[in-house]
This record gives sequence, C-alpha cells and structure tokens, in this order.
Amino acid sequence: MYQFLYFMNSLSTWVGKAFAWCIIVMTFGTTYEVIARYVFDAPTGWAFDMSYIMYGTLFMMGGAYTLCRDGHVRGDVIYRLWPPRGQAWIELVLYFVFFLPGMAALVYAGMDYAAESWSYQPYGPRGPSGEVSIFSPIGVPVSPLKTVLPVAAFLMILQGTAEVTRCIICIRTGAWPQRMHDVEELQDVLLKERERALEHSLHLDELPTPETTDQRKGEGQ
Amino acid sequence: MTDPQVALLMLGLLLLLILLGFPIAFTLIAMGVGFGFYAYYRPAVDWWDNSVFDLLVNQTYSVMSSDILTAIPLFLFMGYIVERANIVDRLFFTLNIAARGMPAPMAVAALLTCALFATAVGIIGAVVTLMGLLAFPALLKAGYDTKFASGVICAGGCLGILIPPSIMLIVYAATAGVSIVQAYAAAMFPGIMLAGMYMLFVMGRALINPSLAPKAPSEDTSTGQILWMVATSFLPLAVLIASVLGAILFGLATPTEAAAVGSFGGLVLAAAYRALTWERLKESVYLTVRTSAMVCWLFVGSWVFSSVFSYLGGEGLIKEFVVGLELSPLTFLIIAQIIIFLLGWPLEWSEIIIIFVPIFLPLLEPFGIDPLFFGVLVALNLQTSFMTPPMAMAAYYLKGVSPPHVQLMDIFKGCFPFLGIVIFAMVILYNFPGVALWLPDYIYSVR
Repeated sequence: MYQFLYFMNSLSTWVGKAFAWCIIVMTFGTTYEVIARYVFDAPTGWAFDMSYIMYGTLFMMGGAYTLCRDGHVRGDVIYRLWPPRGQAWIELVLYFVFFLPGMAALVYAGMDYAAESWSYQPYGPRGPSGEVSIFSPIGVPVSPLKTVLPVAAFLMILQGTAEVTRCIICIRTGAWPQRMHDVEELQDVLLKERERALEHSLHLDELPTPETTDQRKGEGQ
Repeated sequence: MTDPQVALLMLGLLLLLILLGFPIAFTLIAMGVGFGFYAYYRPAVDWWDNSVFDLLVNQTYSVMSSDILTAIPLFLFMGYIVERANIVDRLFFTLNIAARGMPAPMAVAALLTCALFATAVGIIGAVVTLMGLLAFPALLKAGYDTKFASGVICAGGCLGILIPPSIMLIVYAATAGVSIVQAYAAAMFPGIMLAGMYMLFVMGRALINPSLAPKAPSEDTSTGQILWMVATSFLPLAVLIASVLGAILFGLATPTEAAAVGSFGGLVLAAAYRALTWERLKESVYLTVRTSAMVCWLFVGSWVFSSVFSYLGGEGLIKEFVVGLELSPLTFLIIAQIIIFLLGWPLEWSEIIIIFVPIFLPLLEPFGIDPLFFGVLVALNLQTSFMTPPMAMAAYYLKGVSPPHVQLMDIFKGCFPFLGIVIFAMVILYNFPGVALWLPDYIYSVR
C-alpha cells in the first residue's frame, strides 16, 4: 500500500516537474518575440500561440503534482479542527462522490474533444491532419494542447487513487501518512527554521536570517 | 422545484460543502457536472450525449487558452525569482541610510522596502516573513515601539496585492472580463495613494510622539556613497517594475509579454546579485507550477460551476431579488464590501475573487457601478482581511518569525491604525472615483 502510494506520488511529481519547465520556454520565447518586434522589426508568427499552449500545458499537467503536495486550496477553517480519522472519512467519501466522477467526466469529454480536433484536415484531404490555430497564418497546431486535457485529467485520477490510499491508511492507523515534500513557499521555510532554532537554543543571535537560508535544501525528498 | 430554485440550492450546497475542507476546485467541477447533467437532461438524448460534457470541456479549454490568464505563471515566476535574489537586505539598509533626514527613518525605509518588494513579488507571506526577520529586529533594536514597527511591516507587506503588477488584479480582470491594462491603470493611483497615506501616517506619528521612533544616529556616509548604494539596490528593482508596468500601460506590450520580459529581467537581476543558483531556479520553477495549477484549476471549477448556475437562472434570480430591494448604490456597495470583508476571514483571496466576486458582478450594472472601480475597492478591502483577526495572515507570519517577547496582541494593535487608513482610503475613493477611473479613461482616449 505504501509502495503504491509512493509510486503514484513519484509519477505525479515527475510529470509535474517535467512540465514545470514550460515556464522557461514561455519566458524566453515571449522575450524573444518582444525583442524581435522592437529591435529587429520582425515579429514572430508563433509567439502568441506558444504562450497560451505552454501556459495551458503547464497548469494542467501540474495539477496532479499540486494535488500530491496538497497545494489545491481548501476552505479548512472547520476541517482542521477534526481528528485525522474524521478528516480521512470525509475525504474518502468526497473523493468517490466528487473528485473521481468529475475527473472521469473530464477524461471522457476530453477524449472526444481531442479526437475531433485531430480529425480536422486544414491542408485538405492529403495534408497532415490536426487542428491549427486561427491566430496566425503559420498554422501552429493546437491539437496537442487539446490532447493535454484528457491526459491531465487521467493523471488526476491516478493521483486521486493515491489520495484515496492515504485516506485508507489514515483510517486504519489514525494518522495521516507524511506527504512527500520538496520545495516549499519561502514563508513556510522561514517559519520552520525559526521554530527549529528556538527549540535548539534561546540565543537570539543564532536565529536564522535570510542569508542563512541559502543553504536550505531544495530537493530533500 | 423550478430551475432557478435548483440554482439556489446549488449555491447553498456549495457554501456548505466548502466548509468540509475538500479542495474547492474539484467540489466546483463535480457540482457543475452533476447539476449540469440535470439541467441539460433531455429524455430523447442518451445520457452519455448530455450537453454538460461539451460544456465541461469547452469551459476547461477556455481556461487553458485564455490570453489573460497566461500572464499569471509568468508574474508568479518573476515573483519567486525576485524573492530569492538576496535583494531585500540591500534594499532595506540602503533606504535606511538614505532616509536619515526624515522622521522615523527606519520605519519609512521598512515601508518603502515592503512596498517595492511586495509589488515585485506579489506574495504577502514571503514579504512579511523576510521583512520580519530582517527589518523587524533592526527596528526593535533601534528602539522603535513594538506595535508601531509591526504595523508598518504588516501593512507594507500587504500593499503587493493592490499596487500593479499585482496577480490579484489579473485574476480579477479574468473574472470580471475587463482588460488587465485597465485594471492596472485603475489600481495605479489608489495604490500610490494608499502607500503615500501610510508614509504620511508613519512620519506624522513619529513627529507627534518621538518616543515611538528614535532618530537615526548620524553616520558619516557621503552623498556619493549613498547615491551608489541607491543605484545598486533600489534602482534596478524599481526600473524592473517600472518598465514592466510602463510597457503594459503605454501599450508597448501585452501583459503576458511584459510579464515574460519581467521574468527575464528578474533572472538577470538575480544573476547580477550572484543569487541565481541552479537550486533556486528549480525552486522557483516548481513553485510556479504549483501555484499556477492551484489558481487555474480553481478557474476551471468556477467557470464550469457558474455557467451551469446561470443556465439554471440563478444569476437572474439573484439580480431580480437584489434590484427588487431598491437599495441605493451606496448601500449596495457597503453591503457588498462588508460581505467580502467577512469572506476574508475563512477564505483566501483567490477563492474570494474567483468564486464569490462573480456573484456580485452582474449586480454592478443595475446600480451603475464600474467593474474597474469595484475591483479597486475589493483590492483595498482585501488588504484589511490580512490584518484583522481571526485570519490575519500577515500578523501570523510576523508573529511566527519575531522574537518570543512580541505578542500577537501587539501586532494586532499595531495594525489597527493602518486598517483605519485603508477604510479612509475607500471613503476617499468613493467620493472621488476619478482617483481610480481617470487613468484608464485617459489611456483609452489616447489610443
């Protein structure tokens, strides 16, 4: 069970991190477009389509990774007052009632949507098939982005089974299994370092400053 | 049950279900699909051909290909890079020396650092914790009053959600269907006004009660040295922000392009400060994907939910009801702002803007309220929800990093006068809407 959980979490993490690098493509591609337009007076035909394709891929494929790090926002004012077992029961039910059906609908509808998009033949019956963008004459293909939709939703289902497993473990043992963690928001890192420092010593001058956080680890899984 | 009644049931259920603590994006998607299935059910059509599936996939793809939301990951990335660029300490100590001649110089420097850094970073927690570790102990050591100093840090750290290029304003623009350019233009002067009022308050209090803020010891730093320090710390960040904003407001680049150039500039800046390590780049990239996924999946949920909600006639019903109350626009505005203020207790700004603000948006037109104006009021309003108990994020972050003898109560008391200033700013804005609306009108008339 733990092995299954570990495998699913690693898969979502790996995919999410791989697609996270789309942000670099976006940054450099779009910066290139601005330079090309103002310095070389030769705007590109692909930059606009590239930016939303990268953005759409980035956040969709990052959804499962975010779920596995508990990054999707919750209204947890009351939730956090409950004992872990109570939380786990509610979550378990809601994963089956809400999450899995919702994502299954997205996979089902998304597959039709992507298939239809791939069946277009914008260059005539002999040309390559697949829908192209309407925003520029150079015909940036958008079928891949539409394919991302069901694929991302399917990954969400996979990660959803991992979350269900966490709930079952928690119901059995009475405690949530620890989440994998890597990088955290700066404020959380600083707050934790502060707590640790207070535990170890009460000398104020040994407390962390922003400089000492340089050595914090980013990849400690 | 009539369809509009079903829609109300849907909204009521949502409010209850949010409290269960399940990730809201998926609650919204599932409720949208479930109620949509009912709404679009036709006996003659097989269940698997129900139009709700088309609606689901179309709304999801609209989020995926939105040219407004594209700017969000880029601005987040810029923020995460700048946050890690070792810039705060330089900025604060330089401004501290440069502000020597003023009353309460260190508080003024802290406020300016917060404002500038928060503007570039746009993430409240990071600004407040970094400044809480750096400026707060320095302020206390210099003999500043604890309450006074904590108010300065909290209030300054929250400015980032109002002053453009704020991510909150992009989210509002996407929700309300206004252009980012106009939203930024509208928030520009109110943001500067609020920062200016904070500044005047800090200096004024120090003049009236000098025991709160001791004078700076006179050091012999030559003007040339100060200029050099300003040129290497304050200027690069200020230029980065100004060029991003300028490019957007003057129409030289779309918000997405400006954000990309801003991220690029952030990378260059971090490299120049020798803070751009592989480790930090990875951290920024991974945090960007997580925060973007959080915000954008919330949009997927909200757009699916709200299109089913208005198809069932829920929007019309609420509009009819509220218009039927025959409120004056002022009463409506005050009630709306109070509701948003109260929502700020249990919810985060992203949920408030993406899920609850859409309920108010169709009501703006019958009351003759400009959605831009409303957006600026909401941004001002949300400042306060970060500083008021029980969910005062800014205060909790500061408490978390401050020396043990600083009490949470002191921090709240310190924030209190700043809350008064925010409310005062909202009153000014209501009486002189031109503060917000002049710049967007001007930009439109020029183009």
